[in-house]
Amino acid sequence: MNKLVKSLLVAAAFSLSAGASSAYAQDEAKSLDQLLELVKENRAASQRINAQREAEFTSERADKQALLNDAKRQLANEKARGERLQAEFAENEIALANKEQELQNALGTLGEIVGVARGAASETIGRIATSIVSAQYPGREDVLETIAEAKEVPTIAELEELWLAWLTEMKESGKVVTFNSDVTLLDGSTENRDVTRIGVFNLISQGEYFNYNDAAEEIQPLGRQPEDYVLATVEAFEETETGYEGLYIDPARGQILNLATQKATLEERYHQGGTVGYVITVALIVGFLIAIYKFITLGIEGAKMRAQLKNTANPSDKNALGRILKVYQENKTADTENLELKLDEAILRETPRIDSGVNIIKILAAIAPLLGLLGTVVGMIGTFQSITLFGTGDPKIMAGDISMALVTTALGLIAALPLILVHAIVASRAKSIVHVLDEQAAGIVAAHAEKKE
Amino acid sequence: MVYLVELWESIRDFLGTGGDVLYVVMGALFLMWVLMIERYWFLTGVFPKLKKQIISDWDARKDTTSWYAHKIRDAWISEADEKLNARILLIKTCVAICPLIGLLGTVTGMIAVFEIMAVQGTGNPRLMASGISMATIPTMAGMVAALSGMFFASRLEARVRRAKERLIDSLPHH
Repeated sequence: MNKLVKSLLVAAAFSLSAGASSAYAQDEAKSLDQLLELVKENRAASQRINAQREAEFTSERADKQALLNDAKRQLANEKARGERLQAEFAENEIALANKEQELQNALGTLGEIVGVARGAASETIGRIATSIVSAQYPGREDVLETIAEAKEVPTIAELEELWLAWLTEMKESGKVVTFNSDVTLLDGSTENRDVTRIGVFNLISQGEYFNYNDAAEEIQPLGRQPEDYVLATVEAFEETETGYEGLYIDPARGQILNLATQKATLEERYHQGGTVGYVITVALIVGFLIAIYKFITLGIEGAKMRAQLKNTANPSDKNALGRILKVYQENKTADTENLELKLDEAILRETPRIDSGVNIIKILAAIAPLLGLLGTVVGMIGTFQSITLFGTGDPKIMAGDISMALVTTALGLIAALPLILVHAIVASRAKSIVHVLDEQAAGIVAAHAEKKE
Repeated sequence: MVYLVELWESIRDFLGTGGDVLYVVMGALFLMWVLMIERYWFLTGVFPKLKKQIISDWDARKDTTSWYAHKIRDAWISEADEKLNARILLIKTCVAICPLIGLLGTVTGMIAVFEIMAVQGTGNPRLMASGISMATIPTMAGMVAALSGMFFASRLEARVRRAKERLIDSLPHH
């Protein structure tokens, strides 16, 4: 389609120009002869023009040749200059190296001193920036930084600064000072407080240990304070006006305190036991409650029976021995065989009530370590699951489940030990009461009968 | 005196490396031995007098063959038996719980080891060694405590049984 439009347009253009030229010819030439004349005239004119143009070209050609020659000469000049400069550059390079060597020679041992001073300064920055003395005197390391970064030989004044920095650190490390400073608390707020610094070891304030964060240049409290008995010494230390007072300090300059914050408290450790741990606790509590109940009831029963033993003539309904004596009084007339059967029956009625519960304590004492074992197994299952998922590369991943396994075992034993002891005590009490009923009741009855005779 | 101080030092070292569970072992051991010494004292010092009293009471009786006499004799024997057997169960329990306390020490020691591993990693076995000694020393102490009690406890039981049988033999039906 496009092609067709294009050819049409071209055809139209040709026809138009053809039309135009024919119209022009019609204007000038009235006849063919005239036209011939005209064409001849035109040819002569164009020949003239062509000759003129040829002449112009030839004259211009000579000019261009001159220009080309000029440019070539210029190029040669520049090349020569480049070579000269290159040679000069190489010479200068050698001269520079020589001069540097000369400078090195001239510096002599002074060069080593620059290195030593720079090394000492950068080492001191590390010491001083992290030291808690900087909490009291901030910005001490700025001067040293200029020495450490300087390329020139340090001046005497700068070297003195280095010396002074060491002396200050040395002097302050032996001091216990209280100073006023801004403290960044755990909730992010800052507070102006009196802070006591103990040498280069610890910062304390208002009964708590603080740390110096050298990156933020802030005094911060520990994430978790150490145990109470450690903290108690801080308060006592702060309250002393004169004399001496003991204080726990961290010789690792806060590192041990930081590590101590990662240690689990007893409560956290208890909760690591998980559900199994709680079940063991319930078993312990239930066992103890039963034991306390049995202890009280057996104590009351024993006291009543002792009172009854002194007064066998008036049996009471309120205690086991009294009830057995009553059976005897009701069956006084019966023969001994019958009486013994009646007494046995009465004793048989009493013993289950006395023995009840004692065995439950024993069972709970036996169950508690088994529950601990269950917790161990559950924890180990968790451990192996995390090994399948993450591999054994990081022991910290496994630590959670392992601590569950161990804590439940420990809890099981901790629950079992007192339960076993308590069971022994309660069981021997129950046994002695049952003995009195079982083996001595008939004897008491007999003694009572004999006394009457 | 110096010897005592050295002894005390070594005991303190032992307690320090073994951890707090050793105090529990010590408590159980102490309780066990106090009870056992009390039993020995009762068997050698108190019981012979009691036995003599019972025998003389029995010998003083005219009637020793009736049902009443039989029952009274049984009651006296039972009373004496109860006095002989008092706290024997507690002694046996103490012997039994000593290894359990040792086991508790093992577990708490292992907890300490794993705690160190969680905080410091496994790089330094020296750090773990304190936890391991906390695990092994109470186990050993519990075993030793149980062994020291076991022999005497069983001897004691046998003596009590024999004492009761001798008493029974000394009360004949005329």
